[in-house]
Amino acid sequence: MAELKKFLIRRILTFVPTIIGVTLIVFLIAYVIPADPAKAWAGGEKASPEAVERIKERYHLNDPWYAQYIFLVKGIATNTLIDPRTSNPVLDDIRDRFPVTFQLAIIAFIFTLIIGIPLGLISALKRNSIVDTIVRIFALIGVSTPVFWLGYLLIFVFFVKFRITNLAGVPPTPATQITHVPIIDALLTGEFTLFKQHLARFWLPGFVLGFMGTGVLARFVRNSFLEAISGDYIEFLKAKGVPKLKIYRHALKNALVPIVTVLGLQFGGLLGGTPITETVFALPGMGSYAIQSIQNLDFPVIVAITFIYALIYVTANLVVDILYAVIDPRVRY
Amino acid sequence: MPEPILQVRDLTVHFYTYAGIVKAIENVSFDVYKGETFALVGETGCGKSVTSRALTQLIESPGRIVNGEVIYHSEKGPIDLLKLSEEEIREIRGNEIAYIFQDPHASLDPLYTVGYQIAEAIEVHGKVKNIKEGIKKAVDILRAVLIPDPEKRVHNYPHELSGGMKQRIVIGTGIANNPRILIADEPTTALDVTVQAQILDLINSLKEKYHATVILITHNLGVVAETADRVAVMYAGKIVEIGSVEQIFKNPLHPYTKGLLKAVPNPMTKIERLEAIPGTVPNLITPPGGCRFHPRCPYVMEVCKKKVPELVEIEDGHFVACHLY
Repeated sequence: MAELKKFLIRRILTFVPTIIGVTLIVFLIAYVIPADPAKAWAGGEKASPEAVERIKERYHLNDPWYAQYIFLVKGIATNTLIDPRTSNPVLDDIRDRFPVTFQLAIIAFIFTLIIGIPLGLISALKRNSIVDTIVRIFALIGVSTPVFWLGYLLIFVFFVKFRITNLAGVPPTPATQITHVPIIDALLTGEFTLFKQHLARFWLPGFVLGFMGTGVLARFVRNSFLEAISGDYIEFLKAKGVPKLKIYRHALKNALVPIVTVLGLQFGGLLGGTPITETVFALPGMGSYAIQSIQNLDFPVIVAITFIYALIYVTANLVVDILYAVIDPRVRY
Repeated sequence: MPEPILQVRDLTVHFYTYAGIVKAIENVSFDVYKGETFALVGETGCGKSVTSRALTQLIESPGRIVNGEVIYHSEKGPIDLLKLSEEEIREIRGNEIAYIFQDPHASLDPLYTVGYQIAEAIEVHGKVKNIKEGIKKAVDILRAVLIPDPEKRVHNYPHELSGGMKQRIVIGTGIANNPRILIADEPTTALDVTVQAQILDLINSLKEKYHATVILITHNLGVVAETADRVAVMYAGKIVEIGSVEQIFKNPLHPYTKGLLKAVPNPMTKIERLEAIPGTVPNLITPPGGCRFHPRCPYVMEVCKKKVPELVEIEDGHFVACHLY
């Protein structure tokens, strides 16, 4: 246990340079864009010079770049950074939108898992058969289908033709909040109608977002499983007289390390896909907030969202690293 | 007359690869008698392992058992192991006929404790109710294979043990169900020389203790002389000579056996200098016609190139497949 604690502290310390690096790069890109954010925030061409000057003063826009960056980071850390567009503290805006995005990501992740893993296993067990070829083609389609195209296509099918989903607003959050993710809270507190409403609203965007990952995951599951099943210990299990299903369980557990790695990366990838998905499905989450901010040259928000995304990404990777040790006794911290 | 426990007849296994059909073993026939140690010797790639695995249908695609019979004299009477369904043969594998594989580092699943893996071998044959009970039995098995501190060791993972210890675990797994036949496929090849002797001693003493029959597969003639009662010599997928250890070592008949014995220090006779057999092992996709050894044989005759020699009994229990006799 002490070793785990040490490992966690060491890893969390490595978060700091990673997150500083990511936010700094995003900030610098925004900084060098030849645009005048202050004017945009003040209201465009018609803004009075005094107002523009006041905004520049307030957001330290006349300072050198490093001072501006430090101002932004300090503002995020103390939650005193005000969104020039909404006039709310940036982190408050994000906090309101985060549950939508997180809920979307979780549902997408579940879709990726329940489609990708069985497909990969079927493909491995029926390797070099027609089923295998179909799964491979599916994987290729999965990675090469653009989210916005699939999104509109499925909206046409499930909303315009069959009305199985709805596309406006977001169902209310349950009264008692435990995890702050509405759909999980609804389930935990037993508000099943609310749970159903959330599911009805989120399943389609979740599927669209998760679809891209299913193909990659299926391929990974297939290959890792095949590699595991060709191990000598599998043959020894057969020689021991272990039934087939139990042998598959051994193989699956051995295949799990690469699968978990790719799952961690995919969870990060899902977050990267949220801006488009949320825009297509009109979900008021962090992704669409990021798009709006980019359109309005809203740099403080862009840096703050980058910060949150980076934090989620490194946390997902930390979870993956911990899972390695849970799966494989040879891995020590 | 000794009582046979296993009678192999015309066993043929082919591997269907892109390069062609590999005729890994062809028309292999031999008997194994109850309670003996039967050694299968030959160089790498001659089909020893394939033969041993084909006995319980452990041949994976692209390999296929094309022909043959393996009559196993179980306590309930003789059965042809090759005609059993997948589930029927599974019940025999690891239970009545158990295996020990060559590489202990690769034979154990790295993600499970050794106790679990032994317990699993017992549990799948329904001899204990659950894994937990099996682990209790595993402690006794570890003690039987001379692992110190067995109560603690059952909870170790394979990577925490040395090669010799791991092979003891593999042996323990093999004997977990008191098998009637134990097939040891090069059990000492992957181990240090110092550990090899201990492992062989262990297999021998366990054989005595459980009244098992051992089929020992090896390319090490020293090991054969030390442990075996009878020997079958394989070359390029065929058995060329079968006899007792004395017959094979003192009076080798087949030119290949003679060559083999000249190539190693013979524990039974004194030889001045070690000789190699000229040539290399043939490609089994297009094996030489007639006797497969003829391109390398110093006594080759015209008939050897045309006719496949059959196994004939030269003296009591001593068979050879060669046109010289």
